[in-house]
Amino acid sequence: MSVDFKTHVDQECKAAEEFVNIYYETMDKRKRALIRLYLDEATLVWNGNVVTGLEALSNFFEMLPSSEFQVNMLDCQPVHEQAIQSQTTVLLVTSGTVKFDGNKHDFNQNFRLTAQATFNSTVWKITSDCFHFQD
Amino acid sequence: MKGQETARTKMCSMVKKFQKSRNEDCRDGISVLQGRKPGGSSSRCNFGRRSVPYERSGRGLLPSHFQEDGGNWMRDVREDPRVRYTPYARELNERRGKWRGSRQVLITMCRDPQSRERKMEEDTQDRRVESWFKITIPFGRKYDKAWLMNLIQSHCSVFFSPVDFHYINNRALFFVQDARIASKIKHVRNKIYDEEKRKISIFVTPSVVPYSVKNKFTPEQMEQLKFIMKKRYDGSQQALNLRKLRFDPDLMGHQIEMILNRGNCMVATLQIIESNFPELLSLNLGNNRLYQLDGLANIVEKAPQVKILNLSKNELKSICELDKVKGLKLEELWLQGNPFCSKFPDQSAYVSAIRNCFPKLLRLDGQELSPPIFINVDAPGLITPSQESYKGSETMKNLVLQFLKEYYLIYDYGDRQGLLNAYHNEACFSLAIPLNPEDLDSSNLREYFKYSRNMKKLKDPNLRRQLLKYTKRDIVDSLSMLPKTQHDCNNFVVDMWLQRKTMLCFSVNGVFKEIQGTSQGGVHAFTRTFIATPGSSSCLYIVNDQLFVRDARPDEIQSAFSVPMATPCSSSMPTLSQEHQRMVQAFSLQSGMKPEWSQKCLEDNGWNYTRAGQIFTMLQTQDKIPAEAFKQMP
Repeated sequence: MSVDFKTHVDQECKAAEEFVNIYYETMDKRKRALIRLYLDEATLVWNGNVVTGLEALSNFFEMLPSSEFQVNMLDCQPVHEQAIQSQTTVLLVTSGTVKFDGNKHDFNQNFRLTAQATFNSTVWKITSDCFHFQD
Repeated sequence: MKGQETARTKMCSMVKKFQKSRNEDCRDGISVLQGRKPGGSSSRCNFGRRSVPYERSGRGLLPSHFQEDGGNWMRDVREDPRVRYTPYARELNERRGKWRGSRQVLITMCRDPQSRERKMEEDTQDRRVESWFKITIPFGRKYDKAWLMNLIQSHCSVFFSPVDFHYINNRALFFVQDARIASKIKHVRNKIYDEEKRKISIFVTPSVVPYSVKNKFTPEQMEQLKFIMKKRYDGSQQALNLRKLRFDPDLMGHQIEMILNRGNCMVATLQIIESNFPELLSLNLGNNRLYQLDGLANIVEKAPQVKILNLSKNELKSICELDKVKGLKLEELWLQGNPFCSKFPDQSAYVSAIRNCFPKLLRLDGQELSPPIFINVDAPGLITPSQESYKGSETMKNLVLQFLKEYYLIYDYGDRQGLLNAYHNEACFSLAIPLNPEDLDSSNLREYFKYSRNMKKLKDPNLRRQLLKYTKRDIVDSLSMLPKTQHDCNNFVVDMWLQRKTMLCFSVNGVFKEIQGTSQGGVHAFTRTFIATPGSSSCLYIVNDQLFVRDARPDEIQSAFSVPMATPCSSSMPTLSQEHQRMVQAFSLQSGMKPEWSQKCLEDNGWNYTRAGQIFTMLQTQDKIPAEAFKQMP
């Protein structure tokens, strides 16, 4: 591994960790703001069902009951350029338990995050999301 | 929260608080039921049968009647401070004109404490009878209503009748009245599967009285309506003409607003049809501004004989509305004048779309249709949208399945070094398990722990870097070090969650068995996420590979490996064990030799896969293998 790659990975891992915390906190406490973490054409596959586009995502999150997430596993990898055509992308995989309205489920989730550079900072947004109950 | 207080005492304490701080006319600062006159100095409480009084607790709105009863399962949730009930789901606002009644229901206070208590007691009894629950099935729109209800009913030991079944966006909703039934339905959620073998989720939440029940017609109104409908009924034709029903002079004279878009109006109409015109053949609902047909969802039960339906000049925007009355065996249908009719490229597309819905239709918009041709094909346009998109196109789906089949064949039975060709030069791989170091000894996942890159537990940046394998050589080397496995390939659940020209993302969920080492026989569950990019000649190169392994649950272990692995190329090798058969398959795949030749090579080397591979490579470079040993290249 080249040095560049290593530092690259380090930075991205840190960003991924922060992102995960923000994501689940937002989902638990301020669900309506969750949609801001998604890119316009983002896709969500929820237990096999596809939801595409911000409006549909908005409706979908509204419908979900209130949640309480606990993440037990988190892993991330940078996605190679060839696959994503020079947009820094990270694959983020999480797993843990979630309580929807008091019903507990184990879940697996993976995200593809893309970095959107603004003037003085980098904002990570979700381009795709795949959520699956383990049961 | 103080569990045992009744609604009454809590209400009193809140009242006292207000009175202390205000010392004024209690009308001040207290909100009023929408649409009702303010209480003012009257001594009547504004708790009508129509309202559901709510308390303000610091954590949001809680229906007070849930503190009294509701069964155990409600109590757990109540004690959890972070759960908020949102009985006024936002869809209340979505339906035009439907939910006007009960949006902002807050507390009204009155001055006379005695009458308040008395009223509340009456109300408590009412409320106990009327504790309603809303059952939501996300993505329920893709399921047929009758099928779905049957499925839930069959798992539910108590009979229930769903009220106000309807669809909002993609979800299906209905209401039930009893906490007991609601809790039974909640337990069903782990047991029902759709035809794709996916679990169907169900959310159960407490709710306000559903619209149609709340706004039921009075008996007098029903009598009036019946009288008027009888006037519009033509016995000789068994036809009921409800065209422009709202403007019927008699109805208007009695101030009955028959707005058929509203659930309660449609329910009343269907009820009268069911009891008075069971033999109904023809129903005309034209010119009623109908924009959805949810209200007609149970027309098949109420008016099963209907063969002629007129929905012309309404406001139906999508042909999917017709799905809701698909159960009727219609012979004649009138739809002209609806917005969706003009969305078809030409007349024949329109006709065939309608015929997909009603195969036995003979006349459409007054025109005779040519006799129907029955083709055994599922109605294309009207099928669940998710089927298409999450699997991507058929070719992609097949490509992925084929890829996984070959990958796991080599992974389980072959030499994992052979997976080099499946990976991109600069691919990444990592694996994670959700274990704490403390739990290690007791777990079957011990052997994986040293490779686990669970960033939640692992904070050391060096170790993190090390455990992320980069370049295909490194990856394949680490894969070779993992314990030998046997995956249950027949029971994989694959999610394809992204498809682009240069990238394909999919996740595989399933179980596998350890066949060596200290945890032999242990069954683990896994989720493996792949990002791959297509290469030449329709093959895939893995760019990212993330493996998550956890202990399998008892139910997963039981259902694992339940279908015997399909026996490959059976006839030529009757005496081989399953494992050997799989090795032959893998070897054949990797070497390109026909199965018989692969088998010979393996046998000659005592079924030592690696050695057989080395011998093969050696012989091949020495050109000692005849051409006929190799499979024809497609």
